Amino acid sequence: MGYRLGVDIGGTFTDFALIDDESGRLTVYKQLTTPDDPARAVLEGLQAMLARDSVDIARLTSVIHGTTLVTNAVIERKGAPTGMLVSRGFRDVLDIAMERRYDLFDLRLVFAEPVVPRALRREVSERRAFDGTVMELLDTEGAVAAARDLVENRGIEALAICFLHSYADDSHEVAARDAVRAAFPDLFVTASSEVLPFMREYERWSTTTVNAYVQPLTNLYLSHLEAGLAGLGFQGSFLIMTSSGGTVTADTARRFPVRLIESGPAAGALMAALLGEMLAEPELLSFDMGGTTAKGALIRDGAPLRKYELEVARVHDFKAGSGVPLRIPVIDMIEIGAGGGSIAHVDERRLLAVGPRSAGADPGPACYGRGGAAATLTDANLALGYLVPEQFLGGRMALDPAAAERALDDGVGGPLEVASTRAAWGIHEVINEDVARAFREHASEIGFDYRQSAMVAFGGSGPMHALRIARKLRIPKVVFPAGAGVMSAIGLLATPLSFASLRSAPARLARLDANALTAGFAPLLDQARAQLGAAGIAGDALVLTRRLDMRYVGQGYEVEVELPEALAADAALARLPALFQTAYEAVFATSFLENEIEIVNWKVEARGPLPDLARNYRQPDIGARAAQDYPNTTVYFPERDEHLACPVLDRYALAPGAEVEGPALIQEDESTSVLGPGERATVDAYGNLIAELAEG
Amino acid sequence: MQRFDPISLKILWDRLVSIADEVVLSLVRTSFSINVREGYDLSCILFDHRGRMIAQGNYSVPSFTGTAPQTLAHMLRDCPPETLSPGDIVMTNDPWMGTGHLFDINVMRPVFRGDRLVGYTMSVTHLPDIGGAGMSSTCTEVYQEGLRFPVCKLAEKARMNQMILDLVRMNVRVPEQVIGDIMANVSCNEVGGRALLEFMDEYGLEELSGLSDAINDHAAAAMREEIATIPDGVYENAIQIEGIEAPIELAARIEVRGPDIAIDFTGTGGPVRASINVPFCYTQAQSYYVVKCLTIPSLPNNEGAVRHIAVTAPEDCILNAQPPWPTGGRHSVGHFIVPLLMGAMEQALPERVQADVSMMNVFSVKGHHRDGEEISSLFFLAGGFGALSGIDGRAVTPAPSNMTVVPTEIWENLTSMTVEKREILADSGGPGTWRGGSGQETVFRNDTGNLLDLALMGQRTEFPARGFAGGGDGALRRYLREGGEVDGKGRILLAPGDSVVMHEAGGGGFGDPLQRDLVEVQRDLDDGHVTAAGATRDYGCVVGAAGVIDAAATHDLRASRAGK
Repeated sequence: MGYRLGVDIGGTFTDFALIDDESGRLTVYKQLTTPDDPARAVLEGLQAMLARDSVDIARLTSVIHGTTLVTNAVIERKGAPTGMLVSRGFRDVLDIAMERRYDLFDLRLVFAEPVVPRALRREVSERRAFDGTVMELLDTEGAVAAARDLVENRGIEALAICFLHSYADDSHEVAARDAVRAAFPDLFVTASSEVLPFMREYERWSTTTVNAYVQPLTNLYLSHLEAGLAGLGFQGSFLIMTSSGGTVTADTARRFPVRLIESGPAAGALMAALLGEMLAEPELLSFDMGGTTAKGALIRDGAPLRKYELEVARVHDFKAGSGVPLRIPVIDMIEIGAGGGSIAHVDERRLLAVGPRSAGADPGPACYGRGGAAATLTDANLALGYLVPEQFLGGRMALDPAAAERALDDGVGGPLEVASTRAAWGIHEVINEDVARAFREHASEIGFDYRQSAMVAFGGSGPMHALRIARKLRIPKVVFPAGAGVMSAIGLLATPLSFASLRSAPARLARLDANALTAGFAPLLDQARAQLGAAGIAGDALVLTRRLDMRYVGQGYEVEVELPEALAADAALARLPALFQTAYEAVFATSFLENEIEIVNWKVEARGPLPDLARNYRQPDIGARAAQDYPNTTVYFPERDEHLACPVLDRYALAPGAEVEGPALIQEDESTSVLGPGERATVDAYGNLIAELAEG
Repeated sequence: MQRFDPISLKILWDRLVSIADEVVLSLVRTSFSINVREGYDLSCILFDHRGRMIAQGNYSVPSFTGTAPQTLAHMLRDCPPETLSPGDIVMTNDPWMGTGHLFDINVMRPVFRGDRLVGYTMSVTHLPDIGGAGMSSTCTEVYQEGLRFPVCKLAEKARMNQMILDLVRMNVRVPEQVIGDIMANVSCNEVGGRALLEFMDEYGLEELSGLSDAINDHAAAAMREEIATIPDGVYENAIQIEGIEAPIELAARIEVRGPDIAIDFTGTGGPVRASINVPFCYTQAQSYYVVKCLTIPSLPNNEGAVRHIAVTAPEDCILNAQPPWPTGGRHSVGHFIVPLLMGAMEQALPERVQADVSMMNVFSVKGHHRDGEEISSLFFLAGGFGALSGIDGRAVTPAPSNMTVVPTEIWENLTSMTVEKREILADSGGPGTWRGGSGQETVFRNDTGNLLDLALMGQRTEFPARGFAGGGDGALRRYLREGGEVDGKGRILLAPGDSVVMHEAGGGGFGDPLQRDLVEVQRDLDDGHVTAAGATRDYGCVVGAAGVIDAAATHDLRASRAGK
């Protein structure tokens, strides 16, 4: 047995988590992110950490990497010049898009631009019907000629090939792809049917173009890292985290870089699920709040909820509909524009509003003293006493309370004619409400009852707000995990190798026989086995899950049905109507309809063995150091409407079994947990701080 | 009276809106109707015990803006508060009490805290069917359009009235779905009532009326302040729109006096013998919507938000059609209230108004697949959005209501028709300093092997989306087939193998097109919104052989045109 290392690149820090698989000893490390060359921080931090912990790199069996590279490339539009070949007559699908307004009252709404501009799209003669039959043969020469024009005259480095109905038959796309590749071996080419053969051209093509767009830079980055790791003597496996909560090999990541989007938050949610497993809390809310956004995930039966849709790079106040839609397997996450940098202001309603605009890290909140004048959530939390100015980021950064107070008065208190403490409390509480609302609405959308569940709170700002939010949601228990600031890096260590995919192939149940059922899953199973086989996972180690999206014929809404493991095709077919009915009733709460049922999408999820983090897990060793003896501070609690004397405890000095009674601040380097008057928490065997909330 | 400082008011108000949104989401999740699921053709509202509206869910389409208080007043007139018990459910689908046509079911539930009435919740959804001839334009009276329920108790003390459910079941085409949707309304109101009571517990509120007054007064004050910034005056507009036999005249007069706006529709033509008449509640909702867009778009809907807006229309006009005029397709006339009022406000608020929108194209397709199975589907296509000062109208963007794209891959599966082409239609957006949104060209081929029957309900086929402030009009909506143009409100019988071409209308432009930035015109050329010929004709641009604008020559051409 050796060591495994998780590396997660964040906006400010690159986080490392190292586990000794033999002893279960877990250590963490942080290095400033190097935005100009993110690989540098990874390689430097890795060396520094291994040196600190006296671990020989030859003993490292795997490095699991989570990166925001792809997300940032789409948001900042730093991908490669990308071209697109489409079925004749359909060049404008990316512009026609959803034909839908995401806000009916704001007439100045804006939408994300497609990553492939119209001038770089070319039409190709070919056409298939919805059942896959050929209506017009592919003009292969025309496809190559169009690609040549784009390469030679437009300088494209990547190409997306998007034909209609390729989910039903991919041979035109494959033929065009192969011919173009033969002519231009250096061009990165993606066909829509390989990214996700999902029926709905706009979303599939949007996904395909984004995949092509980020392929060159992902390839360069991964090659750079692989070479760097090899140069240091690393001989283990290099794995990349995806948005679905599984890892893939670097080769798979190169083919499907779009799947790396939002992988950091996915690792955090996965870690929350793992904590839930250890604490026997199968129903959880994972709550992560940092500098600009808050992210939430709902965990049911020990696993984060998943879906096949995601929107990135929203251009209008984080509003759904203003971004680029993607169809990839993802952990279902809520994202709201609420974080430490969220700016408070008086809105057109003449009331307080917080976010979604953020002061970011630069200039940052007013209290950072870097020229920011706007009042932010961090300024409010400082004024309320939840942040202690001398202890911010482990004392590495001084905060200026007077600047915070000024900003609060100028931006909120003055215009609304309230005292600065009241303004600060308002800002804090508005964020609590916004987060609670996002959870409530998402739970309502999918029919999730969270009232007996627990919340896991992490990220730089999450633990400061968690108890108030939990009260609003009537959640009885909040877990403040040890290492809240590096949850995603630790989560990487809990992630199995996996590959999920989906294809659309409508089929009426009444006309389906066992052979057709088997055949429907076959290409997905083959692809999953090939992907994981290449990473050395086969036989019993491979876990396969088959799911179907089914609906009543003529209805627009599908429900997901999972086929019991290893059920033979004819038995599975016999069970399908009953499985569908159960799943349907869970959503619609209604009696059975005597309508015909059809399958729309076929899904396979394959994964390797789960890393044995749970059994081995213990409190991360943040680095031996003497317990800090912090002086008392004063903190505002609205129940008393005044600043109360409040002890500040060193999180690293709290041993398992320790009990804390509020009011108290529990300080760790990257976050502060806040307990109000009368609230209690205990430290469990893993080092988690657990607060139980009494009703009321 | 209780007092709430701005911080408490913000938090409590937003929570109430959030409760209404939560009700919406649970309704969407359990509804069968495609209109509800994809188009948010629904509304959820919270009231205090006096029937004063406190909050409405954010997601509703414009036709539900502020209609609910009147609906509730009608309900309470027929079922007074003292006759209500916990577990009662009151409903109606009367077009004149509800939201303008029989398809919309209004479901209300009183909320009791112990035995004290503290408020009401209400939901409205567009049902999949209501019997009768439905939305067919052949109806001449409301009686032909389906079932019409007066205010009635769907449940008394939590016991459903089986008679009403049976009546529905026996009179509609898809009974399971319709009953399912009615029950979705019933259960979402339970969700709302429960959330309202928990909210009161959490914040220690014995009743809602104090908070309701604070919220509504604050909203009214914000609106008052905003309306006061609009120059006082009388602003008028009259437009013509496509009718069934003859064009329909719509006229509006808006008077702004200090903090008040009065909107009147005198001069508007009379009702017609087709299902496009508009009950007044719908006219009022669209009017509120326009004022909201022009003042504080983000202000949550409530009683205070519309307190300073008075809407009137004479009883003999199509915008205040009385029973028994048919109203099933009231939106096809009612949607034009938006451009009508925007046009009136062009002089008063040039920086805020939107040039005319192009409306949606909805058509139905009936026929049979090759295997004989029936085809019956609706297709939706958007035209271009109207431009505003400072922002181009977006291509193919629906307005004033909403829709969602029908993917080609889905449509071909559903109908075995073939879509030959979907393309942004160059030169269709109204020229302007800010260009109107482009329409699109769509070509359908009948590959079903059988005759297909297309029923068209197109607008902007005679009267284009007008440009504002010197901007040009958008192109008209057109239906073409071999042999020529087809009437936009007619039928097309498409033989196997035949094609039909549809051109969606463009949105109106804003401002003088000769003032449009050359960078923008060049982008339009590159992105296919404008052809070289169009750039010269509409924008005074000289375009070289490579499709690049010649700046010097353009300068001269524009100067000579401006001189004329």
